[in-house]
Amino acid sequence: MDYSELYVTSNFSFLEGASHPEEYIEQAIAYGYKEIAITDRNSFAGIVRAHAAACVKGIRLIAGCRMDLLDGASLLAYATNKDGYSQLSALLTVGNLRAEKGSSNLYKEDVYAHSKGIKFIAVPPAVLTPSFEITAAFKKILKEYKDVFGDDLYLSASRRYSGDDNKYLYRLSEMSEQLQVKMIATNNVHYHIPERRQLQDILTCIREKCTIVNAGFRLNPNAERHLKTNEEMCRLFRHYPEAIKHTQEIAEACQFSLDELKYVYPDELTNNGRTPQEELSFLSWQGARQIFGDHLSQKTIATIKHELAFIEQMNYANYFLTVHDIVRFARSKNIICQGRGSAANSTVCYCLGITSVDPTKFDLLFERFISSARNEPPDIDVDFEHERREEVIQYIYQKYGRDRAAIVATVTQQHQKGAIRDVAKAMGLSIDTINSLSNIVGSLGEFPEESFEENRFQKEGFNTSDKHLRKVLELTKQYIGFPRQLGQHTGGFVITNGKLSDLCPIMNARMENRTCIEWNKDDIDALGFMKIDVLALGMLTCIRKAFDLCKEHYGLELTLANIPQDDPVVYEMICKADTIGVFQIESRAQQAMLPRLRPRTFYDLVIEVAIVRPGPIQGDMVHPYLRRRNGEEPVEYPSKELEEILSRTLGVPLFQEQVMKIAIVAAGFTPTEADELRRSMATFKVQGLVSKFERKLVDGMLKNGYTKEYAYRVFKQIEGFGSYGFPESHAASFALLVYVSSWIKCYYPDVFACSLLNSQPMGFYHPAQIVMDARKHEVVVRAIDINYSNWDNLLETSPCAFGTSPPRGGCALRLGFRQIKGLREEDMNLLMSKRKDGFKNIPELFNAGLSKVTLKKLADADAFRSIGLDRRKALWEVAAIGDQPIAIFSGQTIVEEKVSLPEMTISQHVVQDYAALSLSIKAHPVSFVREKLQQLHIVSCNELNALNNGDPVKVAGLVLVRQRPGTAKGVCFITIEDETGVANLVVFPNLFEQYRKAIVQSRLLMVEGKLQREGEVIHVIAEGCYDLSRLLRLLTSTKKVKHPLFDETDEEKIFSEGRNFK
Amino acid sequence: MPKRFVTIWFRHLKTDWLIRRQPELSRVPFVLATQDHGRKIVSAANTIAEQEGIYNGLVVADARAIFPDLIVHDDKPDLDEKLLNALANYCIRYCPIVAIDPPNGLILDATGCSHLWGGDLLYVTTIINRFKRFGYDVKAGIADTIGAAWAITHFDEREIVINSEQHYFALLFLSPAALRLDQETLELLYKLGLGQIQHFIGMPRSVLKRRFGNHLIQRLDQALGYEVEIIHPVIEPPLYHERLPCLELILTRQGIEIALERVLECICTRLKKEQKGLRQASFKCYRIDGKIQQIDIGVNAASNNSNHLFKLFELKLDSIAPEPGIELFILEASKVEEVQGMQEKLWMRNFGLHDVKFSELLDRITNKIGANTIQRYLPDEHYWPERSIRLASSLHEEIKTTWKIDKPRPIQLLSKPERIEVTAPIPDYPPMLFRYKGKLHKIKKADGPERIEREWWIEEGVHRDYYSAEDEEGNRYWIFRSGHYANDKNPEWFIHGFFA
Repeated sequence: MDYSELYVTSNFSFLEGASHPEEYIEQAIAYGYKEIAITDRNSFAGIVRAHAAACVKGIRLIAGCRMDLLDGASLLAYATNKDGYSQLSALLTVGNLRAEKGSSNLYKEDVYAHSKGIKFIAVPPAVLTPSFEITAAFKKILKEYKDVFGDDLYLSASRRYSGDDNKYLYRLSEMSEQLQVKMIATNNVHYHIPERRQLQDILTCIREKCTIVNAGFRLNPNAERHLKTNEEMCRLFRHYPEAIKHTQEIAEACQFSLDELKYVYPDELTNNGRTPQEELSFLSWQGARQIFGDHLSQKTIATIKHELAFIEQMNYANYFLTVHDIVRFARSKNIICQGRGSAANSTVCYCLGITSVDPTKFDLLFERFISSARNEPPDIDVDFEHERREEVIQYIYQKYGRDRAAIVATVTQQHQKGAIRDVAKAMGLSIDTINSLSNIVGSLGEFPEESFEENRFQKEGFNTSDKHLRKVLELTKQYIGFPRQLGQHTGGFVITNGKLSDLCPIMNARMENRTCIEWNKDDIDALGFMKIDVLALGMLTCIRKAFDLCKEHYGLELTLANIPQDDPVVYEMICKADTIGVFQIESRAQQAMLPRLRPRTFYDLVIEVAIVRPGPIQGDMVHPYLRRRNGEEPVEYPSKELEEILSRTLGVPLFQEQVMKIAIVAAGFTPTEADELRRSMATFKVQGLVSKFERKLVDGMLKNGYTKEYAYRVFKQIEGFGSYGFPESHAASFALLVYVSSWIKCYYPDVFACSLLNSQPMGFYHPAQIVMDARKHEVVVRAIDINYSNWDNLLETSPCAFGTSPPRGGCALRLGFRQIKGLREEDMNLLMSKRKDGFKNIPELFNAGLSKVTLKKLADADAFRSIGLDRRKALWEVAAIGDQPIAIFSGQTIVEEKVSLPEMTISQHVVQDYAALSLSIKAHPVSFVREKLQQLHIVSCNELNALNNGDPVKVAGLVLVRQRPGTAKGVCFITIEDETGVANLVVFPNLFEQYRKAIVQSRLLMVEGKLQREGEVIHVIAEGCYDLSRLLRLLTSTKKVKHPLFDETDEEKIFSEGRNFK
Repeated sequence: MPKRFVTIWFRHLKTDWLIRRQPELSRVPFVLATQDHGRKIVSAANTIAEQEGIYNGLVVADARAIFPDLIVHDDKPDLDEKLLNALANYCIRYCPIVAIDPPNGLILDATGCSHLWGGDLLYVTTIINRFKRFGYDVKAGIADTIGAAWAITHFDEREIVINSEQHYFALLFLSPAALRLDQETLELLYKLGLGQIQHFIGMPRSVLKRRFGNHLIQRLDQALGYEVEIIHPVIEPPLYHERLPCLELILTRQGIEIALERVLECICTRLKKEQKGLRQASFKCYRIDGKIQQIDIGVNAASNNSNHLFKLFELKLDSIAPEPGIELFILEASKVEEVQGMQEKLWMRNFGLHDVKFSELLDRITNKIGANTIQRYLPDEHYWPERSIRLASSLHEEIKTTWKIDKPRPIQLLSKPERIEVTAPIPDYPPMLFRYKGKLHKIKKADGPERIEREWWIEEGVHRDYYSAEDEEGNRYWIFRSGHYANDKNPEWFIHGFFA
């Protein structure tokens, strides 16, 4: 007799099931099942992946779930047909939307309202009453269920091995006969093999927040909740063969397959009765004429026609219209956006305004972006200003309704550190042990295989032969990759024509006003749903602010599309690596690359964006490219067929598309396999899969006559692309923003600095560096003042506009209150609203409603200069402000004996500026110790430029950034700054260990070493590192006593520790 | 005569103490650390670690980044107080009133003491040297006020004595922190450039009060002696013991009994007054030859019933050998607990464990036939039968989990299951007959199996399938098969208990 397991809890019932849906499918096949159901707790989250696995393996998945009701016994539910499925999905949606994220509130009445086309199994209590009976409450509810569901209702019976199974089954069969509810055999499966019971116990501990030692009866007494073979199930139910038979009854009735779900694009985006294709065509030509003028070139006409034909063939018109609609809304609200992704850089998208990248700057065939072979929907991501993206999101919800639009879920997986923490905690290890274990595991990269790196554990004082520890590691390994929760995708939207809840349950996201579906990107892909990514990008906010300022102060109406293109002056600036604050190319690595690559055209920027990435770096493709570009090495192609793919990048694969193509052309991958390969790298590294692909790729390439070395480099590159993949189409969209931000910086450094400061936090640099850079570009920077500043930084018309042509920025930058640490925006809005003709004294501010604390902060920031008080005098006044005459004496001034306070030196002011603002426009702190540094023969950062390659040198400065990137094998890069500029230091691993303390602790770091010059790129290769932070104490002359009871802020601690990057 | 105060500052109290116990630590940097929100924070660093730039409040992980081989010991939350209490007790030899000044100082009210040591300077240096010899890094100072003594102790590198009338001058060049001000006031003073006490000590009081509040004024007044500061001296912890010296030597049992009765009476009266009772007590008889005769008792529930306690001692009195004569009796209660002061109800008596008579009976039995003869068991949350019960730690231990009654459990459980030979059919069926201690039992009725898996985190091994079985005589047994039924080998069967 055949048996189908219908009661299966996967790990998508979080902290309950202990096996992946895929594992159940595998095991079910091994046992010769023909169908199996996955029934997770109030959720469909795991069924798509089970379905996908089942399709491949030739077994049928019955779509179902377990409904835990608030007012009745649990029910297992299975869709018999598409309508039944929609009912179930709608039902789960009802429960989800009623509850907070991650839980569900369902009542039996809900189920009654959605019961058509569904088979139900009622789950009886697991124990008998002391008089060996099933509870009366269950009997009552079962009767009620029977009345509603009729013959669609079954009664679940499981053998629990708890001593009274015979009585239990007898009672159930008795009840089944009495109420005419068919008894059905299930095994209430929680894991696919008995060995998983240990992990399931651990999950119970994590859920119940206890340890395995004190979990007690919260655990199961035995390991019987695994999938069992047909024969075993038949044996267990030998007295009730009809219970086995009934499983087949349900299995046969439930013929619904997830493949039947058909995604339909929304169709209300057309006007005047046009079809979607006609509408798209209309809009495209309309846009084309707006952009190119009425006389379109033959080439443009041909391209647009070609693309439109392709879109028609693939039936993607609705998709493009949907994206266009969102972009159109953003434009109408003056929200800057920019599309990217495989389809975004087409001429049609350019005409529709989805992207501002001029496609004529490319020479790419449209089909290259959309793989018709894979028959996957095209991919367009749209970036919006990060401060205003929510408006766009709410527009989508509003336009399509919450029943038709929702954000895609992301399945947060249990990663290594979290897994070992959870398991170790459940196993009762101490917090210290947990911490050091998680540190080791975190530093290992991949989780150790069988013979895990014993050295690392032993070094940290662990006994690796300890059974308990081994068990912890073993269970952790099983646990890694378990889904933990459903989060919301950063911005992926699914929009449907009909009800979305017909396809998939919708749930509340943690954020207010957001709703999500239960499926993630891969699930959506597997079922062929369309997804639009609505993403947020800080730089777009910055650019919009810059555009606004340009309009206000220079009368310019700028857009992403109308910025003058291909300006050699801008490229000149980029070549000099004068790019602090510029999008993407501001990092130290990017800055070092710029003078070598010397970008001159837009496409050079595309390459620049893509080249300083883990992919090309790990694949060791950067240097070959540079050598070829500089003509130091001939441009060669490994084969004729690769020339076509690689000609644009001088024979060196740099972009993700190229590498995928190589896998297809050179190693004989199918497009689907190539994509699978990339994805297997990107998402969780499925064990074994990676090495399988590695073999296939290398073997394939060897067979086709490529060298082993080249094959391995390509593979390494794919590995690097995994998490930070950078396709050409994305790079092109980013390159546009690189160019736009560079243009603004080049011509309007005042505008650029101001908008950048107002968009913080973003990018690599502290406000101090942005301000210093602006001043280097001759922007006048003015101090924060209670009578002139606003919350945001602002531009003031400068009396001295400089007359360079084209006109460069000539406004002065007035720093805003937002730069002051710990001030609240509301308080400053109050200040600004009461300011009128300006404040004349401190009591006026106090009377305006500003608190003493706020006034103290303003005094610390030295913001009272316009009323003639420096910070110390202001603080003296503020300190007494709380004690004002009240009642009948109010308004009287207190006459106080004049007290003289010591005058502050300029260096003391600078220290206080740093304490309050983290920057000072009075002077650079290092300038005060310059004399001392000179005595030590330390040169300034600027003086490095005059030295030669190989010269011994000593240089010192404040530490801005310490960086030990994973790609650099332990090399540490440090950037320091003095009053003349910045210097880049390189510390090799052996020296790092030796000078660790100085490197980690210093605020003012001195390095002794050799100058290395490569063209315009200058590095100091460190030979010794010394902490000179003590010199900073000279800045304030007051002598302080060190005493452990008082946490006195040292001058040196006021200066930033520098940012540390991995 | 003005008052005189000495303040002592143990700069590395906890680390010095640890070095005293582990001298090998004296040459390496090490720290003590406490847990704070899951992170470890340095709570004390020794001098060498401080020179490496490691200070209190640093996260241990960061400290390790500076000095990877740093040794880290766990701090205990009340360690400094314990140490200071001990040190304070030691200081009783220098003056009668000693207070602790957390987290690392002592205050001695030395009024009229120093002349015994030859004056203030000698007095203080004696104290300093004594502690230095113990290995403590100390500073100390003496002045008319606690505030001034504290100021020079902590902030003056040279002076250790302030003579009367010189307090104002002594403070002038010190940091405001010497006045024991709060962090906020100190920061304000520094920002205003008032980095030494001289900068503001002469300002009008009203000016100071408007800006710094009463706090600064009070601290100044305390240092200058305008305001009196109160200290709380460390006193001896209360000890429950009674002494009975005898003018005439005691040699008879009757004499000993009288003495025992007297001391018991005294101690019980005191215990009753404090609503306490003793759990353990020793009765010590100091003989004239220097030997001590001692008998001990223990009770199950704290008691202050002298009659009951007397009876317990009485059982052991024979072991006391009074020759050549006892001159002093001491009764010490080494363990004292609160007595549950329950309201007595007139019409209802406490039964069961709370019945005083019952626990007194148990005391008498155990004191007569030895401890561990009467046991109390409690349920424990384990499925594994051997671990499902545990020994209670006391008569009154609260039951934390209920006795499980949903599964049949035998009234007598063998501490070790015993092998039986069985004849059993196919899997999941109970045996048809079994042989136990040579006797053959034919099973008439049975129920099961109840499958109990090993607790894998404790031990590995196969599960057990338990059956409750009844033989033809109506006796019922709890038997199990170890592991799965397998065709190729005979499974092992055991008997584990007997039902009533």
